[in-house]
Amino acid sequence: MNYHIREPKVPTMSQISLTDIHKQFPGRGKKGGWKALDGVSLEIAAGEIVGLLGPSGCGKSTLLNIVAGLDTTFEGKFSIQGKSLTEQIGAGFRIAYVFQEARLMPWRTLRQNIEFVLEAADFARTEWPGRIDKVLSLVELSKFADFYPLQLSGGMQQRASIARAFAIEPDILLMDEPFSALDELTARRLRESLLHIWSAFRSTILFVSHNAFESTYLGDRVYIMSPGPGGRIKEQINLTHIPRPRSYEDSALFEQSKRVVESLRRHMGELVE
Amino acid sequence: MAITTFFSSVAASGRELTLSDIINAEQTRNTAISLLSVLALVGIWQVGAWSLPSSVLPAPTTVVQALAANLAKPDIWIDIGITLSRIAAAFLISMCVALVLGFSMALSKTAGVFFHVWIVCGITVPALVTILTLYMIIGLNDTAAVIGAAAPVIPVLAINIREGVKGIDPRLLGMAQAFRAKRRQQFASVMVPQIAPMLLASTRFGIGLIWKMVLFVELLGRGSGVGYRIEFFYQMFNMTEVLAYALSFVFVMLFIEVAILGTIERRIFRWKKQ
Ligand SMILES: Nc1ncnc2c1ncn2[C@@H]1O[C@H](COP(=O)(O)OP(=O)(O)O)[C@@H](O)[C@H]1O
Ligand SMILES: [Mg+2]
Repeated sequence: MNYHIREPKVPTMSQISLTDIHKQFPGRGKKGGWKALDGVSLEIAAGEIVGLLGPSGCGKSTLLNIVAGLDTTFEGKFSIQGKSLTEQIGAGFRIAYVFQEARLMPWRTLRQNIEFVLEAADFARTEWPGRIDKVLSLVELSKFADFYPLQLSGGMQQRASIARAFAIEPDILLMDEPFSALDELTARRLRESLLHIWSAFRSTILFVSHNAFESTYLGDRVYIMSPGPGGRIKEQINLTHIPRPRSYEDSALFEQSKRVVESLRRHMGELVE
Repeated sequence: MAITTFFSSVAASGRELTLSDIINAEQTRNTAISLLSVLALVGIWQVGAWSLPSSVLPAPTTVVQALAANLAKPDIWIDIGITLSRIAAAFLISMCVALVLGFSMALSKTAGVFFHVWIVCGITVPALVTILTLYMIIGLNDTAAVIGAAAPVIPVLAINIREGVKGIDPRLLGMAQAFRAKRRQQFASVMVPQIAPMLLASTRFGIGLIWKMVLFVELLGRGSGVGYRIEFFYQMFNMTEVLAYALSFVFVMLFIEVAILGTIERRIFRWKKQ
């Protein structure tokens, strides 16, 4: 299948900009609250793939929900190309989400599941079939368009959920541990699948992972966070020098993923000492 | 397991036996078993009729003949019509009240605790007491009859509905919100399909209970309807007519259950077939 592969977007200014984000969850009853984020700042350029790594409970999902606009009760400055998210969304900016579980509606076929998000994003009905066929063929699920999710394996369901996310041609794609519920071989195929479909759209991707090798394989950059409470970004590792398409056998990947593991260990260590 | 079978049959698409064949074969088998089961019931009835005086338990053939004769006259149709309209009214009342109670109990903790007490009372008070009390308060009329038939069913339905609403998957709602589905789309496409099975089950269950309640209230305090006729013929020691009227209504309810609700169910749950 020959789809037009888009050129990488030239990063001019950062697209997602978070400055000094603090997030406090209110406590219940006598228990005090939980400080989930304590001064997180990061900049992501359009078309970049950026990973967030850190021990569980450090606030990764919280950060993703803030960028998704699902959580608006935080302190600090969050802007998209200089404007607020609400303004951008009003102007047609689109955000898609891939969750750890596929979260497909079991009573709808794959096609109907994708139609749901196309409707939500206000695409004209005439565009639906074209978009659906395109994304399903990019994740090699064309033959299964009219199947119900429960007729497919977990890996296929997750591929469908990736297709659904790209169907709305998102400006930003957020992924929260998208492959962690799958076995390693399936996960490998899906990461390839993800990068393949991404190369046709070049959306900005911000993903959460707890797998060092996965984040090096996918990312242009990865941010390492410290354990909660009060999660912060401790370090960033640049991976742009590893050429795409990447191979799982690339020794540069192993080198870098070792660096990521070391960094994680170092910042976990702060807690122990 | 079903998925595995399915894939192997897709993979071996050249094979003669397809999945729909398997399903059809199973359906034929199930229909045959159901038929046998009906025959067995009629058989038991026949054996009973042989061993008891015909004034106590008339034979199935006698009852069916009486029923056929009744159906040729307008009276039975009028009674069936009256009873059906009471069932419809009572069902509507109990379903609406139960929906309000069930939803509020599922969505608000305060309402959950508050109405729980009512529900427990509602379940423990015998239907007979509720019906008689309502006849006393409202009078021996159709309003009291319909409310009396509806009231005992409400608590059970409300509990069903509460559980169904609590079972809505918050993760799918999260997905809908992340993709910025409007409220209307969230409700119609994410919430309704999840509570539809529960609504359908409650409808079936509710109608099943209500039609017995309606016969009961008619027998206790009305001068029309299938329940009244059954009581009337019972007083006359005419068991053939008692059973003929009962049988006519069993057929009506079977029609509603199988033809109407069954079709709706098959339409809604196509996705569960595999
Ligand atoms: N709604 C909430 N109310 C209170 N605390 C929360 C809530 N959501 C998350 N938290 C807490 O915030 C911390 C960070 O959560 P999360 O962002 O989900 O972590 P992770 O990095 O594992 O994705 C956790 O300790 C969690 O207990
Ligand atoms: Mg998380």
